Amino acid sequence: MHMKKDAGHNIRLGVFVSLGIAVFIVGIYFIGEKQQLFRKTFRVSGVFKDVAGLQAGNNVRFSGINVGTVEDIRIASDSSARVEVLIGEDTRKFIKKNAVAGIGSEGLMGNRVLIITPGTGGQAEIEDNDTLGTVQPINMDDILISLKTTIDNTSKITDDLSEITGSIQSGKGTIGRLLMNPSDAQKFDSTLVNLKEGSAGFRILMEKAKKSWLLWGF
Amino acid sequence: MQQSQEERGPLENGSPKEKQRIIRRIVSQLTPHQSQNSHLEGDIAPKGLPEAIPVSRMGAFFLKVSSLTIFTLRFFKEVFRPPYEFHELAKQSFLIGYKSFPLVGITGFIIGLVLTIQSRPTLAKFGAEAWLPAMVAVSIIREIGPAITALIFAGKVGSGIGAELASMNVTEQIDAMQVSGTNPFKYLVVTRVLSATLMLPILVILSDAIGLFGSYVAVNLNGHVSAYLYFSQIFQSLEYKDLLPAFVKTFFFGFAVGIIGCYEGYNANKGTEGVGKAANAAVVFASLMVFIIDMIAVQITSLFQN
Repeated sequence: MHMKKDAGHNIRLGVFVSLGIAVFIVGIYFIGEKQQLFRKTFRVSGVFKDVAGLQAGNNVRFSGINVGTVEDIRIASDSSARVEVLIGEDTRKFIKKNAVAGIGSEGLMGNRVLIITPGTGGQAEIEDNDTLGTVQPINMDDILISLKTTIDNTSKITDDLSEITGSIQSGKGTIGRLLMNPSDAQKFDSTLVNLKEGSAGFRILMEKAKKSWLLWGF
Repeated sequence: MQQSQEERGPLENGSPKEKQRIIRRIVSQLTPHQSQNSHLEGDIAPKGLPEAIPVSRMGAFFLKVSSLTIFTLRFFKEVFRPPYEFHELAKQSFLIGYKSFPLVGITGFIIGLVLTIQSRPTLAKFGAEAWLPAMVAVSIIREIGPAITALIFAGKVGSGIGAELASMNVTEQIDAMQVSGTNPFKYLVVTRVLSATLMLPILVILSDAIGLFGSYVAVNLNGHVSAYLYFSQIFQSLEYKDLLPAFVKTFFFGFAVGIIGCYEGYNANKGTEGVGKAANAAVVFASLMVFIIDMIAVQITSLFQN
């Protein structure tokens, strides 16, 4: 009886320990799978002038899907860095030799990601240790510099515009006089009245002319 | 008949032991002026403070530190020396690990649930509710799972060990064991400390898993997130550097709870109040030790992560 009870306890203890270890292994597996530790992968690289803060461990995206991770970034020469990435073997058939790698970010404030744009069809599949073509990432500083020119131009334009509206307001120039000077406005008004009367007289003249025998046949 | 013998403790099963125990009692009655320690062999650690020598509070503290250190060193000496008490180790693991699981599981579930519900308003303010599973997962795995489980463990197991060994001490069972030729340190202390060290990590892992399930339930209280999405979000946010240091420190938590419980029980004062004091001291000291180890662990891990 003593032994039986002990055996029951030992079985329950065994179940408990096994369960704990199983949960631990499952956790280790799923965390590791994300880092591509247990999947078959292949390695490709790309050379960038500027990696824009890309780090080892960042995701690699192909058509917006995470397919691998950045394994290593090393300075290749005084003006370039070589980025090595591990990509899942199952994605290989979709990435052609002329695929292009670029660097983007996950969100406004997010991590950097390496983005692989698919190559054109008909090309051969990529092979191990191939070097991908790259496009340089858009640098935030470049955007800011071009933005500054735009802002400078805009400020010139608005300066001119404000000068024009200023002179209109002070009654300078034709439009200004027309809009701002009461007497000129009156003159313009009477001009319009004269024009109206003139055109009315012309219409009567034309009516009469239609009836004139001199213009029959027209 | 058999049942009653079982309940009386391991040393009273065999008749030769019973005899030795009686002999021991007679001896102690014949020499009442002798201290409890005097007849023990030289390799036995000092049992508590010698009451005859008055010491200052400071002195008492350092005496306690030194005797705890000797106790710990003795554990490491004994743990590698045969014979190994595997049967007793399994029994203690069952009592310490398996029997604590319901308590730890319920605590883990509630912590996961509550943490998620409490974090939601703050994240919702930033429009970052989608980050809720990731944030809760990292907090549970890195800190809250191990710390809460270790505290519950200290409360249940630390006090249990403290009270059990103290009452064995008070009823002179430990001394009797010594006389009967069983090494009480090996049989009582080593098995319990090892069990606590090995069982707490398993409890923490299970508690983490249950806590994440509780968090899943809480996420689904306001809006629907499929289990698959939830777990893929969790594993997206977790890395080995979150899981492994947290896992390693639970061994130290377990060891601290076990060794302190055993120390307090083994060195309890004679008398009935000694049992209560030992149990209380074991819980307080073990809980404090858990926090101190946690602080050291976070310093070490952050040192290596940057």
